[in-house]
Amino acid sequence: MKYEWKVTGGAAAFLAATGLLYWFTSYENSGTVMLGFSFAAYGMLGGFLLLCWFRRKRIPRPEDNPDATQEDGAGEVAFFPAASIWPAGIGLGAIFCAVALIYGNWYWIIGLPLIIGAVIGFTVEAESGLDQVDELHAEAAKRAAEEHPDGTDGVHESHAEHSERS
Amino acid sequence: MTILHERPAGAEPEFGPGRVEPLTEIIPGPRPHGWVRFITSTDHKQIGLNYMVTAFIGFLTAGLMAEGIRTQLAVPNNHFVTLDTFNQLFTMHGTIMLFVFLGPFAFGLANYIVPLQIGAPDMAFPRFNNLSYWLYLGGFLILLFSFMTNNGAADFGWFGYAPLTESIHSPGPGADMWIIGIALTGFSGIFTAVNTISTIFCLRAPGMVMFRMPIFCWNQMVTMFLVLLAFPVLTSAMAMLWLDRHLNTHFYDPNGGGQPILWQNLFWFFGHPEVYILALPYFGVVTEVIATMSKKPVFGYKGMVAATLSIGGLSMGVWAHHMYTTGAVLLPFFAGMSLLIAVPTGIKFFNWIGTMWRGTITLSTPMLFCIGFLMMFLLGGLTGVILAQPPLDFQLHNTYFVVAHFHYVMFGGSVFVVFASIYYWFPKYTGRMLDERLGKLSFVLLFVGFNLTFFPQHDLGLRGMSRRIATYPDNLGYNFLNLLSSIGAYITGIGVIPTLWNIFRSLRHGKIAGDNPWDGQTLEWATSSPPPEHNFEALPPIRSERPLWDANHPDMLTQAGH
Amino acid sequence: MSLLATQLLGATNFGSPSGVTKQAHEVIRLWRITYYFAIPIGLLVIGLIVWCVVRYRVRRGSTRQPAQFQYHIPIEAAYTLIPIVIVGIIFGFLYGAEDREDAVAKNPAVIVHVQAFQWGWRFIYPNGHSQVGDVAEEPNINDTSTLPILYLPENETVQLDLHSDDVVHSFYVPEFLFQRDIIPGIKNTVDFNITHTGSWIGECTNICGTYHAFMKFRVNVLSVADYNAWYAKQKPGSVTNSGRSVTSYSSDTGGNS
Repeated sequence: MKYEWKVTGGAAAFLAATGLLYWFTSYENSGTVMLGFSFAAYGMLGGFLLLCWFRRKRIPRPEDNPDATQEDGAGEVAFFPAASIWPAGIGLGAIFCAVALIYGNWYWIIGLPLIIGAVIGFTVEAESGLDQVDELHAEAAKRAAEEHPDGTDGVHESHAEHSERS
Repeated sequence: MTILHERPAGAEPEFGPGRVEPLTEIIPGPRPHGWVRFITSTDHKQIGLNYMVTAFIGFLTAGLMAEGIRTQLAVPNNHFVTLDTFNQLFTMHGTIMLFVFLGPFAFGLANYIVPLQIGAPDMAFPRFNNLSYWLYLGGFLILLFSFMTNNGAADFGWFGYAPLTESIHSPGPGADMWIIGIALTGFSGIFTAVNTISTIFCLRAPGMVMFRMPIFCWNQMVTMFLVLLAFPVLTSAMAMLWLDRHLNTHFYDPNGGGQPILWQNLFWFFGHPEVYILALPYFGVVTEVIATMSKKPVFGYKGMVAATLSIGGLSMGVWAHHMYTTGAVLLPFFAGMSLLIAVPTGIKFFNWIGTMWRGTITLSTPMLFCIGFLMMFLLGGLTGVILAQPPLDFQLHNTYFVVAHFHYVMFGGSVFVVFASIYYWFPKYTGRMLDERLGKLSFVLLFVGFNLTFFPQHDLGLRGMSRRIATYPDNLGYNFLNLLSSIGAYITGIGVIPTLWNIFRSLRHGKIAGDNPWDGQTLEWATSSPPPEHNFEALPPIRSERPLWDANHPDMLTQAGH
Repeated sequence: MSLLATQLLGATNFGSPSGVTKQAHEVIRLWRITYYFAIPIGLLVIGLIVWCVVRYRVRRGSTRQPAQFQYHIPIEAAYTLIPIVIVGIIFGFLYGAEDREDAVAKNPAVIVHVQAFQWGWRFIYPNGHSQVGDVAEEPNINDTSTLPILYLPENETVQLDLHSDDVVHSFYVPEFLFQRDIIPGIKNTVDFNITHTGSWIGECTNICGTYHAFMKFRVNVLSVADYNAWYAKQKPGSVTNSGRSVTSYSSDTGGNS
């Protein structure tokens, strides 16, 4: 997190400086507004990362620790959905909506239901995916309990813990 | 169905060919193949390949348009195509090359290579990744099909200066399709940028601190920063243009109190970062190829990162150097910022030379393309310093000098590196090598053809031939140089064929590559070719910018000091 | 060696016109300064690249090991600081040149109102006389007789007021080494002090629609006496349309309004 927030925060600072310099040398509106918004975008990102860095009490993650071994990163990394038809559905719907902007409102009738349906599918699929993850966790916990009856295996973190990690 | 990625607990994994402990726990489910796989896959490698193949088709399409342009301009007073067709050809040539080929090809590389180089199992948001490909493909198809509408495709140049784009000057759906097509590719770019940045920030392997990432990843990260700033501006500019055309607003229409100059400000605020979006990822590829082929660490790694970051920063403050001749911008500010960009670019050049210095350079095809890149991008950079000076730009703006400069940067620069990347990473994509002889033939033809096409255009510009003219009179001294340029264009076109044939043939008959054919230094070579789903069976310990080299050559570690 | 090459190449201008206005001298001077830096730097870098590739390529049977150094701070600092200095020098020169080139006189000798439109030009003189030429269907590109003509005096400050009727155009005369966009809603004024008599072709350089390539004009620069004689013959409010009535240089001086 340390370098991440420095890079994004640095970008924000640079954009702010450029924006100020630009405004006071040119008094031109559009460029200043755009530089201002760019600063806001990176300020937001940099600020968020800074916040994360402090919330982690400035303890580096394994990927920020130059001496980390593969073991330090052991455990669940992230949740990766496998093949899914819904993104293509959303894409197709978006293309129909785009064509509606060119050729007239007719195409909304195809595009919008496609997008709505696909978004529902997308979300439901993620839910069921998480269910499967929970099942997997339960299984792993059972296996671990069998292998280590003393309960020392702390590899599998819960979802809540995981989301804080990143 | 879901795949859960796990890293192993227990002992420090030993890195070596014998180790097969799986890193991934996979929930059983369908493993699609063929078309279903193409449509539904969320694997970053599949999506990366989708991007790259589609982008290359875009390159061939727009390349054919370029041949049409050069045929029309080969001789004076020519009537190969009509005036309107000519305008459509150069407009769509530029649009497709920039929005469909060069940018998305780099996104494809980001998709395929970045997770591998930082030791991640996949991109951070695999399904959004898939969605962004469909938006991109939709944008491409809409742009392409605009040729089939009754008024033809858009015909106002790829930067579409208002008010020529307003509905009274450009009626018909062609211009709308241009707007919507570009907006779709823009959305796709934004999604990819969010995805790549999240991947780099959150999914690096343990020990892969930011300052151990390969330069390619740094460059992709800065590129994606620029995408996040530039593409929303473009999309909103396009939205306002659409409103002007359909709902009678007057953002850009001077008759209703709008300001045409606003379009130029918005467009170039996107447009100049866009040029770096199209260049920085390829700088990264060059760095990787040169370091690997010279068997050395990247010279001045930290300076290189700083240079990339400052190019990214400065490129946000130079948009109006495309507008010097409008008489409505502050010249010294933009001239100063534009000239300053030459400094980090120079640093990169000397770092590349320093990387080759005292190395052992293998002159393989990717390295040849990179050397070609160095020479031609140098020329493009120097003419860039010329064009950054307002008084000289007053002479050269919108002449063929700009066309030559631009193509030296984008073709001699980025496209050559596209070819380098194909030859360099094809073994990783497919497990087979590309044929070196065909590759070198392709390089020689492209190098000669390219220089023959675009070097004379510098002179044409100095003589005052303005760009985007459909034909020219025979008494202004343009004839010979234009003919030369057109012959060069045909040679360039022919030069692509050996590579196409090479790819086609090597998919079946290429030499088996193995995991690490180039003695690579970065993590993408630490896995099998092609990599398995979720990428790594085991990772070497990451203790420097080139973990694999350290594992393979413990006797040749990077020297400390200085 | 490279200095000699610079001198030679600088003297030829690489095919560029040498400029016929006072303002163009600034451009030529800046070109020279840029050449002095750009050509040696270009040759140096290309030389280094070629030398590296030739010297350090792998030869058959060679057992040379690659060096594994990564940083050399003094060299890195040098190639960061020296370019900054060079850029500073170039910026210093261009700053003044650009100011002098863009300077607009308060009381120019002649003010011509230039109107660009799809696809042609209208040059309106102070007494209301206008020279017009336009394109309605595809003409022969080699036929320059139908181009509108902009008459200007030599050695006087000439001011052009640029105005567009419809879309963005651009006023460009290659021999002036200068162009300026003509944007609806933006008031652009440029000054020229032309130092030679002669006749040159000018053009619109900004894509403006179907007949963009044909949107040309002719600049005829006359000596002051000739110009005054020509101007005296033009009736106030008269229109010379070279697009429709085919006129040549000599007959046109008589005016055929």
